[in-house]
Amino acid sequence: MSLIEGEEELIRNGVAEALLDHDRARESLIPLLLKVQGKLGYLPALAMELIAEALQIPAVDVYGLATFYNRFRLNPPGKHQIQVCMGTACYMVGGDIALDCFERRLEIGEDETTPDREFSLERVACVGCCTMAPVVVVDELVEGHVTPTRVDGILLSFGREIPKSAEKTEQEGENSP
Amino acid sequence: MSKKVTITIDGREIEAHEGEKVLWVALDNSIFIPNLCALKEKEHPSGSCRLCYVQVEGRPEPVTACTLAAKEGLSVQTRSPQVDRLVKSAFELLLSNHRLGCGRCPRRKSCALLKIARERGLKMRLSRLSALELDVEIDESPETFAFDRSRCLLCGRCVWICQEVARVGALGFTNRGITRRVGTFREVSLAQSPCTECGLCVEACPSGALYFKEKSDDK
Amino acid sequence: MTGGKSVQERYRRLKESALLREEDLYRRPVVRVGMATCGIAAGAAPVKEAFTRFIEEKGIDARVVEVGCMGHCYAEPLAIISKPGFPALCYGYLDEDLVERLVEDFLLNDDPCYEFALVALETNDVFPTFSDFPRGVHEQKIVLEHCGFIDPGDIDQYIATGGYGALAGALAGEPAAVLERVKESHLRGRGGAGFPAGLKWEAAVRAGGSEKYVICNADEGDPGAFMDRSILESCPHQVIEGMLLCAYAVGAAQGYLYIRAEYPLAVKRVQLALEQAREKGLLGTAILGTPFNCDLEIFMGSGAFVCGESSALVRSMEGLMGIPATRPPRLAESGFRGRPTVLNNVKTFAYIPPIINRGVDWFRSIGTAENPGTAVFSLVGKVSHTGLVEVPMGTTLRELIEDVGEGVPNDKAFKAAQIGGPSGGCLPEASLDIPIDFDSLQEAGAIMGSGGLVVLDEDDCMVAIARYFLEFTQQESCGKCTFCRLGTKHMLDILTAITEGRGEPEHLEILAQLAGDVKEGSLCNLGKTAPNPILTTLRYFREEYEAHIKEKRCPALMCKDLIVYYIEPSLCSKLCSVCVGSCPTEAIYTRTDGLKAIDQDKCTKCDNCLKTCPPDYNAVIKLSPPELLAEKEGKGS
Ligand SMILES: Cc1cc2nc3c(=O)[nH]c(=O)nc-3n(C[C@H](O)[C@H](O)[C@H](O)COP(=O)(O)O)c2cc1C
Ligand code: FES
Ligand code: FES
Repeated sequence: MSLIEGEEELIRNGVAEALLDHDRARESLIPLLLKVQGKLGYLPALAMELIAEALQIPAVDVYGLATFYNRFRLNPPGKHQIQVCMGTACYMVGGDIALDCFERRLEIGEDETTPDREFSLERVACVGCCTMAPVVVVDELVEGHVTPTRVDGILLSFGREIPKSAEKTEQEGENSP
Repeated sequence: MSKKVTITIDGREIEAHEGEKVLWVALDNSIFIPNLCALKEKEHPSGSCRLCYVQVEGRPEPVTACTLAAKEGLSVQTRSPQVDRLVKSAFELLLSNHRLGCGRCPRRKSCALLKIARERGLKMRLSRLSALELDVEIDESPETFAFDRSRCLLCGRCVWICQEVARVGALGFTNRGITRRVGTFREVSLAQSPCTECGLCVEACPSGALYFKEKSDDK
Repeated sequence: MTGGKSVQERYRRLKESALLREEDLYRRPVVRVGMATCGIAAGAAPVKEAFTRFIEEKGIDARVVEVGCMGHCYAEPLAIISKPGFPALCYGYLDEDLVERLVEDFLLNDDPCYEFALVALETNDVFPTFSDFPRGVHEQKIVLEHCGFIDPGDIDQYIATGGYGALAGALAGEPAAVLERVKESHLRGRGGAGFPAGLKWEAAVRAGGSEKYVICNADEGDPGAFMDRSILESCPHQVIEGMLLCAYAVGAAQGYLYIRAEYPLAVKRVQLALEQAREKGLLGTAILGTPFNCDLEIFMGSGAFVCGESSALVRSMEGLMGIPATRPPRLAESGFRGRPTVLNNVKTFAYIPPIINRGVDWFRSIGTAENPGTAVFSLVGKVSHTGLVEVPMGTTLRELIEDVGEGVPNDKAFKAAQIGGPSGGCLPEASLDIPIDFDSLQEAGAIMGSGGLVVLDEDDCMVAIARYFLEFTQQESCGKCTFCRLGTKHMLDILTAITEGRGEPEHLEILAQLAGDVKEGSLCNLGKTAPNPILTTLRYFREEYEAHIKEKRCPALMCKDLIVYYIEPSLCSKLCSVCVGSCPTEAIYTRTDGLKAIDQDKCTKCDNCLKTCPPDYNAVIKLSPPELLAEKEGKGS
């Protein structure tokens, strides 16, 4: 991915800033990556290279770590992050159905971002509100008892249009947003 | 590591250094134990291929020989019904994720899998498992060698050599679980990586994943 | 340690000032609002805000305190109101209206609105207390004692309850005395395997060397469990005190709490707790004026279940992939940075202060001989009273589910208890009378795990649940060793085939063989326990597998590929079209006779119509195998 102007500056500053708080040791690698991702939203290639250089370790090791841990992303996330809980309690009462619905409506798969970078979708394990299963976390806000109807409701609240219900005629509604 | 001890392998009494791993004691004395991931120079064994199981007297379950330290009086059998079952199972699991068709493999005369199959009477085909999807792209970008991931067994020998011996750091493990692979930074080709083409990784590869373009087994 | 007297004296002063500061907690009316993640998710923040607002508006002299999880998550948002002259009362299912009423009627006037109270917390003549309910009879709180009663963000509240007293007492004596107590208590680690904590600590003491580490494992990766997080969010100081006691016993000057980054609230509260402890001289250098130095830090885990495994956890702290290492050496000999390291679970550490305070005999009088103490569970799934519970070891599963959890709701039949998460197993009705302890559960094929308990009912398919866990372990396997990486993949593939109706008779045999091999051959306990969900379901629910394979039928009507949705014309009404509106794919249409029907080609089996069909009709049903549809349609139309 090529960087747009100003982005490189942003990345360099982000990494430099993170490096101020940590020893330049291998042990600092995960805290560094978390911090940089906290700032930039993801781990751009350049950031990984800069960190590798600073810690004097092979870049492939940084990349290896970033692809090993669930928490790290290599691509910018969407503006709104939708996390569908796939913990045991949620799965048993239809967490996968909620995930399906988001996938169908947003036309993306798990761990993907919509082309307009509005939404990204991921699955998480138990968020600790099993009582309200199935649970979806939308931008840190926990939504409980998420049915397909509620999925549409959530997306509508972000101004995402939903294909009209077929209640009236049979033709209507096929045009996606 | 200087103290000498006597251990028994398959009934043979053998002198070994205390603490030395039984796998090496056996191999040095021409007793075969299947292995892929072990490297003698590596201080802490990786224990990932799970092929080197042996039976230790007094222990109900098989133990990996590459992690088993020699100590006075230790007695092991390289074969037992349990060991054979585990080895056969691990072997078939590896095969299920390995491109077969040994006839066209550049390493068909020096392949570690073939050797294990011969020694243990195992078949080079799947009996109860179905073949998994393979990573088919072959990286032919280096001038002297190529990397065919569909034959990679993830033993990790090349990674260790590249990082600890050659000190290049072009290769590393990436991803996790079933998607774990030997890769480069952002999965670029080897030519785009810091690879110096020293060739040490190719020599370390026990299968046909890394091979010299010129020196394959049919030349 | 020298200067025993001055330590105690210092602590006495700390406690006095804490009591003084918190005195009004006992004099003024106090509202405690449960604000752990569970509470916040259920809307506790606006509830707390409402209490504060109404109390202010009405000019009442009362205090609103943010506390952690009270354990009764099913009734969240929850609050405890204590008003002098009344027993402390717990209210659930709160919303703004109810809050307004409670403030008005109870705090302002003297009507406690008993009709809304769940339970009283102190014995009294007017309202039942916990011990009047089956749950209260079984529950005994050691780890959760303070959870839900004190403000996790206020160290004085913990100290006021006697917190850090165990540390002060220990510092007045020798480290060996602490070790001795923990050993004698027979406390077993609560992270899953049940290894005696005292022996682990002793190994670290023996290992020698001057640099040692203490690590608290709060990686809690079980996808259906949240005990450790709730504890850290509700009473972080108890865990911190336990870690300090351990550090003192083994001679460590540095410790870490390994908390997943997915637990932001826990991280925040622990961070605050550490700062407050440092301020009070309870952490850092010269703790309570003694020569004992120990600092604790948080290390944020980055989301890999396998990092809960001790050697993988240490590697990830060293900046490596979280990949388990071969043993020996054990961590107690060579752990973090190659130094002796004690690694224990959150709950294990939380037991230490009460054990030191109240003594070994007290602790061993709870639970069973081999398994002293209590077990903490997050009780979830198809059970009426979900939440965080703590019962003595040896309580039976039946008591836990039927009494504490008040059984399966909606008149459904109990099917299985999934215990121990991805490493555990599903136990059937017939196993419900086994006592909960490390050894009995292991014998039954499940494991104690770190305490996730999911109750399954007749609507849950046992093949699907096995598949769910295999999918999890398969994704979370580090990928290093052959058996775990490839074995779990093949097992998952077979289970997927079975749930999709592609199962073959020989699959069961292959599955059982693979499960055995993976269990025996894997490098670490992730792989070694990954087959448990399969092995237990095969053992106790084999007929469900067979129905999937031979009849292509899912008895629980759960596996999507083996069911169809059908609207029963004899139950459907012309006057209602709720289902039509509810269908996200427009698969439901109105027939010429006004009844509704499903276009199977469009149906995604999302279950929405079944959920929305009014209970008066209940016309939407599921059929399995799908062939039944032809039969029905032949008859129905
Ligand atoms: C795959 C895997 C995941 C684990 N996850 C956890 C965990 O989340 N929390 C935990 O305390 N222990 C976990 N353990 C157990 C630890 O390895 C270790 O035994 C435990 O933390 C030791 O503490 P204890 O003696 O207090 O139980 C896990 C083990 C394995 C193999
Ligand atoms: S399983 Fe979804 S919140 Fe626990
Ligand atoms: S040689 Fe022992 S596990 Fe690979």
